Amino acid sequence: MNAITAEGLTKRYGGTAAVDDVTFSIEQGEIVGFLGPNGAGKTTTLRMLAGLVRPSAGSCSVLGESVPGPTLSNVGTMIEEPSFYPYLTGRANLQHAALLHGDVPAARIDEALAFVHMQDAAEKKVKAYSQGMRQRLALARALLWRPQVLLLDEPTNGLDPAGIAEVREALRSVAETGATVLVSSHILAEIEKLVDRILAIDKGVLRFDGPLHRLLEQMGGQAVAYRIRASDQTGLLAALTTLGYEPRAVADDSADVSVPLDDADRLIERLTGAGVRVIAAAPRGEDLEGAYLRLIAPGGRPS
Amino acid sequence: MNGLLDVIRAETFKVLRKRRMYILAALYWVILPVLALIVGRLLDTNLADSFANEGASVDMLLQSLFSPYGLAGVSLVLPAYASPTLYIVAVALLAALLIGDERSQQMWKTVLVVQPNRVAVLSGKIIVCMLAILALMAGAFLSSVIFGSLGTTFLPTDFSGDWLRLAWLYLLQWAFLLAPVVLAFLLIFVVRSAVLGIVMVLFLPGLIEGIYTVLNTLLQLQPLNRINAIFQTLRLQRAWEEAPRYFFTANLYVPGRSPGTEFMTQLIPEGDDFNESIFGGMLGSGIDLAHAAAVMAGYAIVIGALLYWAFLRRDVD
Repeated sequence: MNAITAEGLTKRYGGTAAVDDVTFSIEQGEIVGFLGPNGAGKTTTLRMLAGLVRPSAGSCSVLGESVPGPTLSNVGTMIEEPSFYPYLTGRANLQHAALLHGDVPAARIDEALAFVHMQDAAEKKVKAYSQGMRQRLALARALLWRPQVLLLDEPTNGLDPAGIAEVREALRSVAETGATVLVSSHILAEIEKLVDRILAIDKGVLRFDGPLHRLLEQMGGQAVAYRIRASDQTGLLAALTTLGYEPRAVADDSADVSVPLDDADRLIERLTGAGVRVIAAAPRGEDLEGAYLRLIAPGGRPS
Repeated sequence: MNGLLDVIRAETFKVLRKRRMYILAALYWVILPVLALIVGRLLDTNLADSFANEGASVDMLLQSLFSPYGLAGVSLVLPAYASPTLYIVAVALLAALLIGDERSQQMWKTVLVVQPNRVAVLSGKIIVCMLAILALMAGAFLSSVIFGSLGTTFLPTDFSGDWLRLAWLYLLQWAFLLAPVVLAFLLIFVVRSAVLGIVMVLFLPGLIEGIYTVLNTLLQLQPLNRINAIFQTLRLQRAWEEAPRYFFTANLYVPGRSPGTEFMTQLIPEGDDFNESIFGGMLGSGIDLAHAAAVMAGYAIVIGALLYWAFLRRDVD
């Protein structure tokens, strides 16, 4: 059974289509990553699925009922920045949401707080929370009524690496209960570790819908990613830049770089020629970020 | 129905945790009657044995204003004369809490997913707002009785009075406040700004009525008598003159100001027309309760329909 369905989903603001004829379906229990640059239409799509924004055309349904409808009470959401009543404590915000939902046992609030490791801060007013704490509390609220569908927009925003890993594990354990998760993120490495399937949207148009490995296969084969270690990181970065690449510093002595397939066999020779003492160079294979960037680049191949 | 009850429970939970509601209640329930009693005590101390009390006129004044019944009347009348009135301040504060916060804290995207039944959400919020106002007014009534009872121990006052009529006026004034509640909700929701919405709630009706007054004055000037001629031709003159009887604020406070009118009537010479007296204009009287009830019901229905229409259609950003 499909947990989420979008059929020709379109939202226009004036003459501009924020989301243009988007069609996809997500089965129960799937974890799907929703990728796209800022302004691509991710949040507008999530808002339409959550019943907050009316589509200009097309339709969507959640758990078999068209949106907005009663099945939304089985949906947990985190859309854009987490929002709360700042004058209420974390616990009181969850109590308010539980009362509003109407079908949440009181003990569930403590469970949800424990799940996101927020028991100690539960009695503090939300206005005193850090961004990371707000993010965790928003996740606790989204999970409060054990929803069958989770719509998450950038859920790891503002979290430190440990927090990101915790959220990732939390989402995995939620998915193990059979819940369906549609999660958007800019941190592609996180999506890569979490999802089975990718939806990629750009300028309101769905550019890719399929398993992660298919995106990598489809967009791969054009470049090779290397991690290069050298005795002088500054010299390494300068040489790679001079050669026309866009390196990224890693640790104190290394750099990641993606080079066209045609250049790959001469890379080490050219670096040595530029006076760089290469200690190690390991191919990293195709990664999601490289594949994704090529997908949304002009001339990128839509599926 | 369950959705509506869930919203009522959740919003009540929120209102009870907002400090400003307790400050408003303290102002209304305690400070106002205590100040009134202090004034009563001062009057009694200074005037009871003076020539001013010949014919027991001071005693009558004390009974009218500072007895349990009088104090309950004062608690209904005074809030209707402040500027802006205490009633509209309460409406604005509650609307800011129940609708404004959803906007300013971007809570709609949470509230309307947790409870997707928008009719239940809006109706629940209106009901909680009206219940909170009812609690404030009922509390004021009770505290006036309590403080008035204390007053009977040191003032020449007793419990006599037309209590049923006073309770009816309280109830009517509460019911009349539905129109400003839905107006406040509509303005805050439509302008998408809690602050601007509240400012508009506080001043918009008065502003419209002020513009009418200015226009009315201008129309009476000779160079503009052609406009008057057009008015006459279109048979609008009478409607224009009648317009103030249908103004929002002129009708809104009629029940609350009613005991004030009755009290002032005692102060004008017998046989004089109250509306022609100096108090008539000041009190904005001349509108009876039935007329005011019909006008306010009309406002509530029209504004309420607009509010539901806007709320059910609008995208939440």
